[in-house]
Amino acid sequence: MPEAGIIGKGIEIKGELRGEEDLIIEGRVEGTITLKKHLIVETTGVVVADVQTENITIKGQMNGNMVASDKVEFATNARVDGDVKSPRVVIEDGARFRGNVEMEVELPPGLL
Amino acid sequence: MPGKTIIGKTIIIEGEIEGAEDLVVQGTVKGSIVLKENLSVEPSGLVEADVQTQNVDVAGEIKGDITATNKVEIKKEGKMIGDIRAPRILIADGALFKGSVDMERR
Amino acid sequence: MIDKKMGAENTIIGDTIVIRGNVQGDEDLTIKGRVEGSITLTRDLFIETSGIVKADVNVQNIFISGVLVGNVTASQLVEISADGRMVGNISAPRVVIIDGASYRGRIEMGETAEGVRPVVRPRPVSRPGIRPFPPRPAPAPAAPKPAAPPAVAKPAPGAEAKPSEKPPEKPSGPGGPPTKPPEAKGPEGKGPEGKPPASGGPAVTVKKEEPKKP
Repeated sequence: MPEAGIIGKGIEIKGELRGEEDLIIEGRVEGTITLKKHLIVETTGVVVADVQTENITIKGQMNGNMVASDKVEFATNARVDGDVKSPRVVIEDGARFRGNVEMEVELPPGLL
Repeated sequence: MPGKTIIGKTIIIEGEIEGAEDLVVQGTVKGSIVLKENLSVEPSGLVEADVQTQNVDVAGEIKGDITATNKVEIKKEGKMIGDIRAPRILIADGALFKGSVDMERR
Repeated sequence: MIDKKMGAENTIIGDTIVIRGNVQGDEDLTIKGRVEGSITLTRDLFIETSGIVKADVNVQNIFISGVLVGNVTASQLVEISADGRMVGNISAPRVVIIDGASYRGRIEMGETAEGVRPVVRPRPVSRPGIRPFPPRPAPAPAAPKPAAPPAVAKPAPGAEAKPSEKPPEKPSGPGGPPTKPPEAKGPEGKGPEGKPPASGGPAVTVKKEEPKKP
């Protein structure tokens, strides 16, 4: 993986985060996060922010809206509260989630 | 060869059922049944519905009118209250039936 | 393919069957056809890839490989497989969405993340909409503004151009200032066309309409 920023466990950030590279959050971030690639919130990570990027993987805590151009994934230990908008969403058994999910859903005609 | 739908013993359906395959009722159906194939009401089955189908055999209970394009058979454990319109009818000894029968071929 | 308990009661709705109405029962139900209405089971619901369900569903476990439009309440697990498509809200302690599934709706699994954000969530609707904006504050109700904004008034020559705060009985000069009906100005309380007429004349000071006083 090309260089990835890492916000270590003991770090707390409040503000606007943006970047072109992957970002791994093990600490705490409050604010907004705008990336071009992959955001990973590790099991120790706590994010209270709206996020916009290509891929989002949550293994820790996330409180905020998530917009991804490719995929949003909640792993088993994830604790998520917020809305998700993405073409692909994956929720693993054990993840805890509350929020709206918006994906394109193709339905047979006349169902809605 | 179309499949077969089985409505199990604990199932209760209130509404309309239609389809192009055999239907076996072991549970309860209230409403209406329109099939292109055959209806079979098993001993545990209860049908309170008008039925339109090809063949019907009743070993359970049915309340409603049956219109069949071929044959209606009420088995000896069967019980029916309603009118039957079908070219062929067989009511077994021991069956209970109350209603009218019309075998006129159309 | 989900591993069904063989031998257990298992109702199968075949792929040519259409049911419009309520379905309830105490056994597993597999739908390959179409059901519209409502489904209540004390056991599990399997919607096969050919299955189309337009119904509110209340079950123990549900496995969706077909299409479901409706709200789901499950006492255990909701799983949408890669072929599954669902629109509707989900309320269950466990939810699994497999990569490839399509879903739109609201998911509630109970307590989740630390409640840092004020949890004022919109009420669940089958189509999750945009989070509603807080209503704009209504413009200040039309206070009886005595003020005929002098701005509009002909520059009463010599009139005490006492702006705004004059009650209508302002003894103005000719044609006194038309008493403007108190209209709701915005909260800023700007005078209505608050520009003094260009005509010369006594300086008509246009003051901000402060409905204060009289």
